[in-house]
Amino acid sequence: MNQRIRLIGLFAFCIILVFGIAGCGGNNNHESGTNNVSNNDNSNGNAASPDNDAASGAEEAEIRFTWWGDTKRNEVYNAIVDRFEEEYPHITVKREFGGWGDYWDRLATQTAGDNAPDVVSMHQFYVSDYARRDALLDMQTVVDTGELDLSQFPESAIDSGRINDTLYMVPKGVTMPGWAYNTALFDELGVDYPDMNWTYEDFQATSAEIYENSGGEIWGSSDMSGGQLQPNFRYFARQSGEDLFTEDGQLGFSADTLTAWWTMWDELRQQGVIPDAATGTEYENAPLEQNLFVTGQTALHQIPANQIYLYQQQFETGEIHMVRMPQLPGGDNGEYIEGAYLSITKASEHPKEAALFIDFFVNSEQSLELFKVEQGSPANKEMGEFVKPLLDPAQARAVTFIQETLDYASPAVYAPIGVAEVETAFKDNATAIAYGEKSIKQAVADFMSNADDILN
Amino acid sequence: MQTWKRMWARNGVGYLFLAPWLLGLFTLSAIPMGASLYLSFTEYDMFTSPEWSGLDNYVSMFGDDKWRNSLQVTLTYVFLGVPLQLLFALFIALLLNRGIRGVRIYRAIYYVPSLFGGSVAIALLWRQLFGREGLVNTMLGAIGIEGKNWIASPDTAIYTLIILLIWQFGAPMVIFLAGLKQVPTELYEASTIDGAGKWRQFRSITLPLITPVLFFNLVMQIISAFQAFTPAYIISGGSGGPLDSTLFYTLYLYQKGFTHFQMGYASALAWFLLVAIAFFTALIFATSKKWVYYQE
Repeated sequence: MNQRIRLIGLFAFCIILVFGIAGCGGNNNHESGTNNVSNNDNSNGNAASPDNDAASGAEEAEIRFTWWGDTKRNEVYNAIVDRFEEEYPHITVKREFGGWGDYWDRLATQTAGDNAPDVVSMHQFYVSDYARRDALLDMQTVVDTGELDLSQFPESAIDSGRINDTLYMVPKGVTMPGWAYNTALFDELGVDYPDMNWTYEDFQATSAEIYENSGGEIWGSSDMSGGQLQPNFRYFARQSGEDLFTEDGQLGFSADTLTAWWTMWDELRQQGVIPDAATGTEYENAPLEQNLFVTGQTALHQIPANQIYLYQQQFETGEIHMVRMPQLPGGDNGEYIEGAYLSITKASEHPKEAALFIDFFVNSEQSLELFKVEQGSPANKEMGEFVKPLLDPAQARAVTFIQETLDYASPAVYAPIGVAEVETAFKDNATAIAYGEKSIKQAVADFMSNADDILN
Repeated sequence: MQTWKRMWARNGVGYLFLAPWLLGLFTLSAIPMGASLYLSFTEYDMFTSPEWSGLDNYVSMFGDDKWRNSLQVTLTYVFLGVPLQLLFALFIALLLNRGIRGVRIYRAIYYVPSLFGGSVAIALLWRQLFGREGLVNTMLGAIGIEGKNWIASPDTAIYTLIILLIWQFGAPMVIFLAGLKQVPTELYEASTIDGAGKWRQFRSITLPLITPVLFFNLVMQIISAFQAFTPAYIISGGSGGPLDSTLFYTLYLYQKGFTHFQMGYASALAWFLLVAIAFFTALIFATSKKWVYYQE
C-alpha cells in the first residue's frame, strides 16, 4: 500500500513536470510572438495615457497582425506597432511574420483552422482566394462607423481593393513593376540607357548589346519566360488586349499570345543573351544579395519599384534607375495597380480595434515616418507628400516612377480559385522549353489544356 | 466486473504512467490520422467545409501525370539509395570491426552525418557542394573534368539526393557493427584452419549471421526513405525541380495540400503512401523467411 502511494506521488510529480514544461513552452511562444512589446506592456499597466480620448475607458483588447518580408521590414513594422501601442494603450498587438512563400502557406492553414490573425497583409494575387471563400471582412463597415478614414485615398486606390464592389483590403503602399539597371555598368559597357517607353524589340536589342559588349561575360537579363504569371507575362497579355483571366474565372489569353511570349524568350536563350536553364534554376530562389543582377551577371532586372533602394544599397558605384515594362508597339498599356494591402479577417473578434490599427498604419505621421515607401508609395495623398522629404534619392526615384506610371494603370481582373495550380503549370512548361524537353508548340498545347482542366 | 477490478489492481498504476503518452498518441496521432482518412474521401480546400466525394481522389490519382512522376522519383530514391547506403554502411562497419586503434573515435565521426543529415543546414550545404562553382566541380576541375551544375540538371539532380542519403550511413553502420560483434570468433578460427579465405569467410559466415541485422536495417531505412522530405524541399527550393526530377512523393503531397489547397486530395495521397510503405514492408517480411538466418 505504502508503495502504491509512493508511485502515485511519483506520477503526480511527472504530471506536474510535464505541464510545467508545457507551460514554459507557452510562455516562450508568447514572448517570441510579441517580440519587443514587453517594455510597452509595463508602461501601459502603470500609466494609462490621459490625453487619448479613444483609449479612455475602453476595454482591453488583443489583436494579431501578420506580414511578409525580410529582417529589415520586420524592424520597421515592429517599430510602427510599438508606436501604435503607445497611442492606444488598451490594445495589444501580437506580431507574426515570415518570408513571402511561408507567409501564404501559414495564412491558409490558420484560416482553415479558424485562428487567422485579425489584421492580415494581403495581395491582389491571393485576395480572391480569401474573399471568395468569405474569410475577409467587408471594410466598408468600419469606414462607415468611423474607425477607418479613407478620405485621403484616391478613388482608384480604394477601387483596387474591391472585388465585386465589396471593399476587402486597403493599400499600405502602391507600387509598379519595371526594369532596373545600374548606370555605372551601362556606362562601362558603352550601352545606351533604356528609354522609359522602350519596346520588346528594344529590350532584345539592349540585352544583345550588353552580351556582346561584355564579351559574353554578362547576360542581358534573367530568364523571365516562366516563374510567376505576373507581372511579366501579364503585362504582355494585357498589351495584347487580353489578360490572365476573364471576369468569370476562365483563362483570359490565347494560345497565340503565349506562343509569342515563349518564342521571344527562346530566341534570346538560343542567342545566349539570357542564362541557360540550369543557371536559371540555380539562381531561382537566391536571396537579393546573391541574385544574378546583384552579383553582376545580368545587367537588366525586373523588380517592383519599391525595391529600388534595396538594390541601390548593394552597389557602390552607379545609380539604380528604372524604366517601364517594355511596350508592344501599337498595343495597350499593361499597367495595373499593384501593392501590399491590409485586410481584416471575418472571424476577428475585434474588428473595430483592427480597423483602428489599420487607420494608424496608413494615415498617421508616426507610422509613415517609419514606413516611408517600404512596400510602395503611400496611397494616402497627404502622407505621400509627408514622406517625400524623408526619402533618400533611390526611394525618391521609386516614388517618381510609381507616380509617373500610375497614370497608365487600368483595373485588372482578380485571379480565380486555382490560380496557384495554373501558375505551377505555366512554370513547368516554361522550364520544359528552357531545358529543351518540349517544343514551344507542345508546351503551349499542354499548358492550355492543363489550365482548362484546372479552372473548370 | 471482478476481472476488471483485478486488472486495475494489477496494472492500474502502469496505465496511469502510460497516460501522458496515450494522451499524446490520441491527440497528436490517432485523431489527426482519422481526420485525414475522412478528408481523403472529400473535396476540401481548407476554407469551406469538406464535401464528400467518395473515391474521386483515389481515382483521379491514377490519371495524374505528376503523381506518377513523383512516385517514380521516390521509388528510384528508395530502391537505389537504400541498398547503396546499406552497402556502404556495411563496408565501413567491416573496416571498423578489424580491431583498429581508436575505433570509438571513428565510430563517432562516421555516426555524426546521420544526426544532422536530414537537416536544413546540410541540404543548403549540398546545394553549394554540387553547384556550378561548388567543391565537387573544383575537385573534378583539378583532374581535368569540366563539371556542370549537378543540382540544376534534370538528369543528375536526383543522384545528388541519393548521395546525400548514402552519406547518412551512420545509424545502420552502428547497428551493423553491433551485429558483427555477435559473430562468434571460433567460427572464423575453425574456417581458417579449414583453409577459407577472407572472402569465403565473409560470404559463408559473416553475411548469414548478420542477416537479421541487415533485415532490420533494410526495413527501417526503406520506411524512412519513403518519407524523406527536407532534402528535396530545401535543395529544389520547394519546387521539386528541375523539371520535377526531384519531386518526391511527400513534396508533391505538400504542394497539393498547402500550395494548391487541395487538402482532400493530399490526404488521399498520404494514405496511398501509407499503403505503399506497408506493402513494401510486408513484401520484405514475406521474403525474409528465405534469406534471414536466425541462430538457434
